Amino acid sequence: MFLQQLINGIVIGSVYALTAMGATLVYGIMRILDINNAGAYALGAYVGLLTYNTTGSLLLTFIVGMLLTGLYGVLVQKLLYVPMLDKSPNVSLIASIGLFIFLSDLIRMVAGPSIKGFHAEVPFSSIYTDSLNINGAWILIIVTTFLLLAVLWFLLNKTKIGLAWKATAQDLETAKAMGVNVNMMVALNYLLGYGFAAAAGIMVGILYSSVFPTMGDVPAYKMLAIIVLGGLGSPVGTVIAAMVIGLAETLIGGYIGFFLPRDAIAFVVLIIILLFRPRGLISKN
Amino acid sequence: MKKIIFVGLLILVFAFAVFGCGSNQQPADNGGEQQSQTGEQQQSKEPVKIGFFAPLTGPAAADGESVQNAAELAVEQINDAGGINGQLVELVDYDDGLDSKQAVNIAQKLTNKDNVVATVSGSYSGPTRAVAPIFQRAQIPMISAYGLHPEITKAGDFIFRQSFVGTVQGKAGAYVAIEMLGAKKIAILHIDNDFGSTLTESFKAYAEANGAEIVSIDSFSFGEKEFTPVLTKIKEEGADLVYMPAYAGEGAQIVRQAKDLGLEAQLLGTEGVDSTTQFLEVAADTADGLVITTNLNRDSDREVVQKFLTDYTDFTGHAPDMVAASTYDAFMVLASVMKEYGTEPAQILEGLSKVKNFEAVTGVLHGYNDLGEVTKAVQVQEVKNGEFHSYGQIDDPEIITPPNK
Repeated sequence: MFLQQLINGIVIGSVYALTAMGATLVYGIMRILDINNAGAYALGAYVGLLTYNTTGSLLLTFIVGMLLTGLYGVLVQKLLYVPMLDKSPNVSLIASIGLFIFLSDLIRMVAGPSIKGFHAEVPFSSIYTDSLNINGAWILIIVTTFLLLAVLWFLLNKTKIGLAWKATAQDLETAKAMGVNVNMMVALNYLLGYGFAAAAGIMVGILYSSVFPTMGDVPAYKMLAIIVLGGLGSPVGTVIAAMVIGLAETLIGGYIGFFLPRDAIAFVVLIIILLFRPRGLISKN
Repeated sequence: MKKIIFVGLLILVFAFAVFGCGSNQQPADNGGEQQSQTGEQQQSKEPVKIGFFAPLTGPAAADGESVQNAAELAVEQINDAGGINGQLVELVDYDDGLDSKQAVNIAQKLTNKDNVVATVSGSYSGPTRAVAPIFQRAQIPMISAYGLHPEITKAGDFIFRQSFVGTVQGKAGAYVAIEMLGAKKIAILHIDNDFGSTLTESFKAYAEANGAEIVSIDSFSFGEKEFTPVLTKIKEEGADLVYMPAYAGEGAQIVRQAKDLGLEAQLLGTEGVDSTTQFLEVAADTADGLVITTNLNRDSDREVVQKFLTDYTDFTGHAPDMVAASTYDAFMVLASVMKEYGTEPAQILEGLSKVKNFEAVTGVLHGYNDLGEVTKAVQVQEVKNGEFHSYGQIDDPEIITPPNK
């Protein structure tokens, strides 16, 4: 049973890691909390479902879902977030909440309020033994998350783009003075961030065989707990925090029972860890 | 650049205003259309207004859409059949967004401004409970279509319930578990709200009094999607039946994940998952073998059931669920009562208390008791090949008679 719960926890943690990565990247550069990342998550899931139903290809589902949602991200940062950069961060926070509500209601009006089935053929077969059951969709999630995070790690640590990203994250003005194309970095940041959120949405859609307009509601606040726990803006911290919360939820849920709503566990963990590490698990200072 | 954004935002704001007003004006528009379509010679008479509210937006929007369609279908059919002795019926409908505060505003509007003669609640227990005292104070009859919390009808004699109260369904669930499915060790996994806790309490009381052991009770919040941790725990406990008062979204995940984990216990659901589009489409073949207690028997050969199933499918393009059938029934009961006793709230009240053996889609209504609770058989359905089919029916008065106070 412990091994089963451990695997459950890693699957949930993987989904959280991808969901919160978009918000982490955006915070890292822009220093704004972008709740609309959860909107991108739902949008990505719907675009993915549409692609899957028309093409039947899982690879295309991820590519089209991530790309279109990423472009949506580029669009909103150009039209909305960049013009607000010189205002207080609260302004863009509120704008992102508004945009998130707008987007989920728009999805409801276009696609209808009902849950839509997302029955995808997963290229991994399920593993069943006496004590352990591993669903094919779980393997897909762990593999895809690992791949995407590896690409991100490579991009941030081994390329010039990564160097420029780090420079921009440290000090936008100085980076600009040193010849970094800051506008491009910000746009790329949103392309990646929203693309990751879309990938998370698609994976959750496949995992639960369903997408629905309000599917971003829970990620909208849970991703906040994860990025704060991870040390605000640190990609590695976000992955660790996501795994900590995923495991805490399954192990507490499985061994102690649901004495609290599962979604509250993330915040209890957040409070306890912040008591000891007020800057989060991994902080830059 | 800034100007463009400003203009863009302005357009957005306008778009919102238009959409917002659009949905608010719906009742007036509908009423107007229906009036001009069928009632040219009857224009001398004012239409009878029936209030209605449902969660068209928010987390329960799918149920909201379903009951809204049912309400519109019912009103259309009532008017096509000549209305209430020649007088047309007008639907005054609102969206409560599953928000009790919003529902209270709507109830104030319905009772003070719209002058409805009766109201149907197409919403969940929470909002329905919040507005029941308002309709009681205004002395306007309200029928709760499918909200099952016991407190709703306790607001007073003007409040009725179309679906059986939670305590009846919980008891019926325990009866099914023990007598029909032979369960001895039962785990309960329920949604943490009025619906889930009401069903759990009455299920537990009956099951324990009749010799079954409740091995564990776990709850989850509305919108939960991940049940593998708790199902893994239930599997270890060796329960032979899992009772799951849940809605379609969560219920579909429970049955899917139970199958993924190889849980062999029998699953027993409630009317909360009684939906083809919301539940069966997502759960697909993993739902086979699930047994539920509900209001609606799709296999019934009674004419009113088969006619409703066809009419609703023609009207919306998809099969109806339990909430749609219950809402439709609430309107049909009102229409029949108004035809016989008159359209004043007091006359409707009198008529409702005298309903006897009414042929409704959700069963033959034996009548409403002093508390406003309906007595009718509880349907037991089983999922076979991705469809709900009849598994049995509970007529035992011991179980289906609702409490009187």
